[in-house]
Order: sequence, then C-alpha cells, then structure tokens
Amino acid sequence: MSPRAPSPPARPDQAFISVRGLTLRFPVYGYDAKSLKKHLARVAVGGRLDQARHGSTTVTAITGLDLELRAGDRLGLIGHNGSGKTTLLRALSGAYEPDEGQIEVRGKIAPLLDLSLGIDPTATGLENIRLRGRIAGLSARQVDDKMDEIAAFTGLGPFLAMPLKTYSSGMQARLAFAVATAVDADVLLMDEWIAVGDADFQKIAHQRLLGLVERAGILVLASHDLDLIRLYCNKVMRMDAGVGSEVVSVKALDELLARPSVR
Amino acid sequence: MEITEHMLRTGSRGFRDDLARALEDLRRSGQGLGLAWSLAWHDVVSRYRGSILGPFWITLSMAVMVLGIGFLYAELQNIPLATTLPFVALGIVFWGLISQTIIEGCESFVQASGMLSQTALPMLTFVWRTVLRNLAALLHHMVIVVAVIIGFGLWRTLNLPLALAGLVLVLINISWMCLLTAIISARFRDIPQIVMSIMQFSMFMTPVFWQPGARVGMMDAVLTWNPFFHMLDAIRAPLMGLAPEASTFPVLIGMALIGWVVAFGLFTVTRRRIVHYL
Repeated sequence: MSPRAPSPPARPDQAFISVRGLTLRFPVYGYDAKSLKKHLARVAVGGRLDQARHGSTTVTAITGLDLELRAGDRLGLIGHNGSGKTTLLRALSGAYEPDEGQIEVRGKIAPLLDLSLGIDPTATGLENIRLRGRIAGLSARQVDDKMDEIAAFTGLGPFLAMPLKTYSSGMQARLAFAVATAVDADVLLMDEWIAVGDADFQKIAHQRLLGLVERAGILVLASHDLDLIRLYCNKVMRMDAGVGSEVVSVKALDELLARPSVR
Repeated sequence: MEITEHMLRTGSRGFRDDLARALEDLRRSGQGLGLAWSLAWHDVVSRYRGSILGPFWITLSMAVMVLGIGFLYAELQNIPLATTLPFVALGIVFWGLISQTIIEGCESFVQASGMLSQTALPMLTFVWRTVLRNLAALLHHMVIVVAVIIGFGLWRTLNLPLALAGLVLVLINISWMCLLTAIISARFRDIPQIVMSIMQFSMFMTPVFWQPGARVGMMDAVLTWNPFFHMLDAIRAPLMGLAPEASTFPVLIGMALIGWVVAFGLFTVTRRRIVHYL
C-alpha cells in the first residue's frame, strides 16, 4: 500500500486513527558512541578501537504495521515484553516519527503512558497540577477552570499546598492520576490500566477512567492482563516482535492467543 | 463538536519535506510560547525554592562580584572607579545571560527526554524554555543595571533604543547557539563539559571586566574575531553612552543569519532522531 494513498473518508467530527505500513527503527548507541572525544580519537586512529562498545546498532521495533480505528473502537494491545506495544503507543502520541509508512490521527490525543510525566517532587501539589495541566495542552485559563475539580478529586485537601516529596507514594499517585485524567481527549493511549491508591480511591479512579474512556472516541490500551482487555476493549491486536496481527473482535481473543505466532 | 487536532506523520520524504516539518515545529512552538514560559518560570521558582531572596541570591552574588572586581580592576588598570564599575557591572550581568544560556542549552533536550518521548510537544519549545528562563534571571539582575545607571549618572547619556536593539540581536544569536548545543549534547554526552570549558576560556578572552586597550596586534585580533565581544558591546556601549564598534551590529546580524541557517539546518536533518538520542 502506498503511503501517499488518500486518507479514508471519515466524518469530520469523529476521531480516527489510521496507520499504514508503519516501520520504526531505533539507533541504539553503545556507551562510547555517546562520546565525541572517543569518536574523534577513533577517527584519528583509523577506527581500530574496540568496535563492540563503540558500535551503534539499529533495532527494528515495529515492522510494516497497519491499523485503522474509528470512534467507538477500544483496542487492546497484547504481546510479550519487547514486542513493540509501548513503541506503538509512543508513535501514536506523536513522539516517535515513522521511518516508513504513515500515521494519521484526528482528535486530541491524551497519552497516559507515564503518570509521573512532568511531575516535580519539590513543587507543591497545586503547582504540579498547574504544570502537568499545561504540559497536557491546557491553557492557563483552562487549568484555572479545572483546578477546583482536580483538587477535589485528589481528596488531598490542605496537603495540596505542601511539596509533593512530603506525600506518601499513594498520595503522589492520586495527584498524578487526577491531573493526568483531567484532560478531555478524543484519543486515549494507555500503557497498562492505571490502578492507584487505596481501595476507596481505586473505586472512584475506576469510575473516572471509565468516564474518560466513554467520552474519548478511541482507546488504545496495552496490557498483559487479559481480563482487563476483555472488560474494557472491543477489539484486540496481538504484537509479536514488532509485527502486528490483524485487528479482531475481543470475542476472538482466545483464538488470537492460540496462534503460534503472528509471523 | 468539531475536532481541530489532526496529526499526520510520515517517513522521511527528503530534505524539503523535513524542512517543512521543522518549520511546522517552529510555528507550533511559537504558538505554545505560553507553555515554554510556564516551564521556564517553574524552573526559576523551583530552583530557588526555600530561599528568602529567591533568584535575587544570584543577583546578590553578582553584585558582590561586581564590587570586588570593579575596585580591583580600577586599581590594576589605573582607571577611575566611575568608569570601571559600570563597565564591569554591565559586563558581568550580560555575560551571565550569554554564557548561562549557551551552557544550559546543552540540557534543553536531555532534561526534557520524558516529555519528548511520549508527547507531541514541539521540540523547539524546550529551547525557548532555556532562553526564557535566562531572560527571567536577567530581569532580576536588572536591579544591578538600574542601580549602576542611576548611581553613575549613565541615564544622562545612554541610548536605550540602541541597547534594546542590541539585546534583541544577542537573544536571537544565543537562541541558535542554544539550539545547536541542545542537539549536539543530546547526541554526544561529553559536549556539556566542552561547552563549559569554551565559555570559561571566552570569559577571559572577552573584555568582560578588563577594558580593551589600543587595538593593535593581539588585542585587535581578540576583539575583531571574538563573537562574544560584539554581543557584549552591542548592549554595553549604548548603555554607557558610547557608540558601539562600527562592525558590531553588522557582525551580529550576519552571525544571526548564518547561525540560524546552520542550527536550523542541523535541526531539520536530525529532528526525527533526536528523541532516540535521549
């Protein structure tokens, strides 16, 4: 399929994801390859230094992946560690540029890949909410508008005025979760379902995530937990060493797993 | 609800397309300048958290340095204090802006690796963050500048519009230097030390505290071929009521043009790879 092929017709008010022939390669630099001085020294001696430590190898993380998702699709990504699930999520978030093929996403993307993104432990809870909100693409005014709601949701009350490093890890997770999920998005990318806090908080966190998923047009969830995928997703894709299977209904999950390999 | 966000990423289609994408990054980073400012301001606030004077601590230590070096060099070079002290004060304050921005430029992308590897934020946002952070620091140090301007009566002779034009040109120049060091230090991790050594060497080779004497021999070469002299001269001379060197503004404009072409060219070529360097 040509990467220049026109995008499929979709209603302009609906989110969609279209990935065609996506191939992603990473250069992996050896320790010495990160040093300019050793680089120059190597040139000077005609490249006879230790090759192994110097070499930069290329790893192909995703090979020729095709994916079409429409509003209402909740895709579960399954596969072993290192099969390229997180890399695909990062590519969908716009952080990684394809080496071949193309990625097209319509709609506001909210990557919930790492809760601690943009969190500064020395800043107070309120400052962290502000900062994280800004990074997620909210304007200063939008953050102000949502501040009360986010603050109330964390349930941290007066602690919000204290530095994050004085929080317990559960409290930190609550705050990070509250901010990360405060963004209204059309496309939600998640690396493992986020479960944080004590039992009570887990219950309301679950409600909030469900609400978010319902509002978002598309969910892509990478997980090893098959029950979770059955619960939240209506479609699944299996990845094996960077190669994606076709997208099937979640009802066919067992058949998909029974296959020896996608390749 | 109308959906406005639309992202299209493709494999490389050659230099022209890469350039268009690099320019797109520039445009989006311009729209998101508010974010760069928020991050920069957060950096300033968090760096001095818990201290009473905040960023003014640096201002205070600069003021002490200005007084010490001012008195010392007035003696050493046999020049009246009324000339030396404003010269040294303006020199140290604006040298701080130039060298800190370039040195901190090295960390622009490396520090933002978390954000760069999982969001679609424009990369240049993090260059503006470094520049704006240092501009915020400069605003605090303006206390010294204003004190000198009032205390030594420079306000009678200063040429403020020219000094501001000089400041803008310097900012344009240190921005490309910041971008350049940001990219190269992402790829080679020993660059920050090299940059630091270069900046320290340059501080001694540039008339930051010492008054340039007659332009003969070595002195002429040091002044003519030192970009940092021109940067400093463009701001300091108008503030002291002097005319900058005839070559200063043309050099700065030429350097800005060539520098941005080189730095942006490198950005265009490496933009896809930078996130993998981190």
